Amino acid sequence: MKYDVLVIGGGIAGMESALNLGDMGYKVLLVEKEPSIGGKMILLSKVFPTLDCASCISTPKMAATSHHPNITLLTSSEVREVRRENGKFRAKIHRKAVFVDPAKCTGCQECEFACTVAVPDEYNFGLVARRAAFIPFPQAVPKKAVIEWVGTSPCIAACPTGIKAHGYISLARAGRFEKAFDLIMEDAPLVGTLGKACYAPCEGECTRGSLEGPLPIRKIKEFIAERYYEQHPEPEYGPPEELKDKRVAIIGSGPAGLTAAYFLARKGYKVTVFEAHKKPGGMLTYALPSFRLPKRIVERDIKNITALGVEIKTATKITSLRELKNQGFDAIFLAAGTWEARRMGIEGEDLEGVEDSIDFLKRVNEGKAPSLKGKTVLVVGGGNVAIDSARVALRLGASKVVIQYRRSEKEMPAFQWEVQEAEEEGVEFQYLKAPVRFLGEEGRVKWVESVRMRLGEPDESGRRRPIPIEGSQEKTRVDFVILAIGLKPSTSPFKEEVELNPNGTVKVNEKTLQTSLPYVFAGGDVVSGPSMIVSAMGQGKRAAHFIDLFLQGKSLEEEEYENLLPVVSREEVLSRQLTHSEKRPLKKRTLPPNERVKDFREVELPMSLEEVVYSASRCLDCGVCSQCHECIRVCPADAIDFSQKPVEFEVEAEAVVVSQGFKLFPAERKPQYGFGRFPNVINAMQMDRLLAPTRPYNTVLRPSDGKVPENIAFVLCTGSRDRTVGNPICSQVCCMYSIKQAQLLMGALPLADITIYYMDIRAFGKGYEEFFKQAADMGVQFVKGRVAKIEEKKDGNLLLYYEDIENGGVKKVAEHDLVVLSVGLLPNPSVSKIFKDETLELDSLYWIKQVEEDVSPASTSIEGVFVAGTAAGPKDIPDTILTAGAASAEVAAYIERKRRKG
Amino acid sequence: MRDKREIIRDEMAMRARILEILKEGPKTVPEVAERLSRPTAEVMFWMMAMRKYSLIEETEEMTDEGYYKYRIKEGRK
Repeated sequence: MKYDVLVIGGGIAGMESALNLGDMGYKVLLVEKEPSIGGKMILLSKVFPTLDCASCISTPKMAATSHHPNITLLTSSEVREVRRENGKFRAKIHRKAVFVDPAKCTGCQECEFACTVAVPDEYNFGLVARRAAFIPFPQAVPKKAVIEWVGTSPCIAACPTGIKAHGYISLARAGRFEKAFDLIMEDAPLVGTLGKACYAPCEGECTRGSLEGPLPIRKIKEFIAERYYEQHPEPEYGPPEELKDKRVAIIGSGPAGLTAAYFLARKGYKVTVFEAHKKPGGMLTYALPSFRLPKRIVERDIKNITALGVEIKTATKITSLRELKNQGFDAIFLAAGTWEARRMGIEGEDLEGVEDSIDFLKRVNEGKAPSLKGKTVLVVGGGNVAIDSARVALRLGASKVVIQYRRSEKEMPAFQWEVQEAEEEGVEFQYLKAPVRFLGEEGRVKWVESVRMRLGEPDESGRRRPIPIEGSQEKTRVDFVILAIGLKPSTSPFKEEVELNPNGTVKVNEKTLQTSLPYVFAGGDVVSGPSMIVSAMGQGKRAAHFIDLFLQGKSLEEEEYENLLPVVSREEVLSRQLTHSEKRPLKKRTLPPNERVKDFREVELPMSLEEVVYSASRCLDCGVCSQCHECIRVCPADAIDFSQKPVEFEVEAEAVVVSQGFKLFPAERKPQYGFGRFPNVINAMQMDRLLAPTRPYNTVLRPSDGKVPENIAFVLCTGSRDRTVGNPICSQVCCMYSIKQAQLLMGALPLADITIYYMDIRAFGKGYEEFFKQAADMGVQFVKGRVAKIEEKKDGNLLLYYEDIENGGVKKVAEHDLVVLSVGLLPNPSVSKIFKDETLELDSLYWIKQVEEDVSPASTSIEGVFVAGTAAGPKDIPDTILTAGAASAEVAAYIERKRRKG
Repeated sequence: MRDKREIIRDEMAMRARILEILKEGPKTVPEVAERLSRPTAEVMFWMMAMRKYSLIEETEEMTDEGYYKYRIKEGRK
């Protein structure tokens, strides 16, 4: 793209330069980093000394800039690099993703009202909140919403099935529990199951974890699901309106199969699930004990899938994939799970009373539990299934339950919290010990002979290999043995049809989950080996995505699956705040251990609504936008587009105008004034906002408590003419804007006393001296004296310690209920870094250097690069517009001179 | 005072409680703050954002101490 002029910065100087040049017929590209042009001027109340409305002057300029046929406007964009090439400039432009399609957005603000994330509003200088989805201010040009989504929140990135934890947490925080449920359903249909039994990898990544501890994300989901199911015993939707003619068979109704069925049915496929057991749910129904996952939850979760028209054929074992295909299915998802138990291969394993954990748990869940009353039970293994089995045995009346694990506690794969709960209930753990044979009487197990172990070198799993200690055998009495040493995939019927891995799992393409038989996809434990519910669901979701593409005849390799932004780092999130106050996590509540073992009641107690809201309010909003998708739901124009990506491109221009403006002096750098600590010490930009028609409050109020102030002080020269902060020069505008604000305050609050503490009043421009005198005549008090420090009283009033120069130089203290720090202007020199090969020189105070200030005020150290406005030094609005005029004239002369030379 | 960003983040969690208090009738920022047992400066952030997003509005009335009263604004949920 070729332009005549590139203008960097869309404040009043940039707009004025662009308009002048556009009117002269030059093609101008105006690049502004904010979502709107207008700079700081549009945020002012009025201008001095005329007291004309700043918006009324700015908005026509903004509209003209945006509509000018010769001006191309790029907002939310930055010039990253400028270099000279063949006598012209080439600039690299970075256009940020704003996640809203500007062509569709009507500026209706519905997204803002619906958004669940509140952040400080920088366009009101932090006096009030804005939303993550926002239009910067009412007069914004373009008046289009943008969404501040800085990256994927770690909780979302950690979820194997991509559940937007941050999103539903922010919905829960706002009390929108139904919508939270709906949001989870976008990514996973077994909401209740996950709330009860997910291992919650999200919590492990939660940024709050590096403060007091992570959010209880799973418990919040449990609350959302329980509440939803209580209010909606049945799903309130049916099959999709548009159905496809293709059919998909799913083998296995565990979490992987059910999830795939759900997503495929939502796309309109006719889905049949084949389940070998009598009930659907796989391990959820048959392996997980109901004290961890009540079966009513699994049953209600499954309705989320069957409501879409998915047929689940139970007690139907599939033994041939080709046969299934011949029945008219266009694709198959194999998710048969891992139902075959590994054996130890030791003597006595076949004795009565020695049982595999999976058979044992299945029997219990089918209501055919053996009585273990008064018996001694040995569980062999260290995984979650072993712990579950031991805890079930206790509930069946066992008098003693021992777990033998051949490694130490450190290597145990079971979760720490499960081990702890089992210990509380009375399960005895014997580490570094394993059975070598079982001995029986009349075919029934009676003793176990175990051996002690020591740990050797790490094996291929990375865990230290257990080595039996010779001569350490011991024999103990045992009535019942549960072997929980591992499960194998149920793939033996299919080994002739699809390629398997040496361990019996199905070999798949890791991205697409397609097997060696193209119409067969596989996922869940049958691919990964025994894994976690949410991982299996993630594979089900992934498989559904690629099965859909396969059935559309698309090439799977070329298609993307996830579309996430990079994860936001902990450091970035924590650095957004100076301090984090303590918000302790709530202690997880459980039934007392002696109560728990009496029956199969749920061990964990639910959270109350208040506890959920408190816990959700601990969220740090890592990605800023939470991905709650409320904006998508309410946008009438369908303009929200989270797939938007930043764009980088290059443009060519003959000349460049730098007009990036100034920075406001950060008043925190004068700690003696208490800015940032005392709510009623504000800066002058904040006072201008309080006075502006688009102000943050209903009128001028003090921020500490909403009182209409009665006694307001201005402290001039805050951060200017001050060597201690490295800014020795006068900022040229503070005297006059303070007098302007004082006059406006006298109009807005006729009863208020206004005092201006000053060093000198600099009223050098046309009408300025009169403006100053007018303020004094109106009753504004002018006190010559530098304020030394400010203290806050309990009622929020402020004590100003100052030297009263005109009355003998005595130290005095005055009380005010609002203090305005008239902050100075600082340079904004980062623009100089984008120029490569040539140096854009700065002056000794880091403003852009005007190399020929007297004769060519817009010229910089780079030929063809010109400066306009406060980029070159502090100035008021009339002077800014003058310099923009000068810059445009110099640009035009430069271009014409160059063209003439050819 | 807590970090501003942290106070502002709490608005979503505080909205329902503030609306519940205002159901009793118009109240000033310090009155709401007292009921919530939270600092007035924090409640100011929450109530002014609620005003900005049309959940509450000021009444004509100002107390002798110089505080406006705010009430629930009908129309937007």
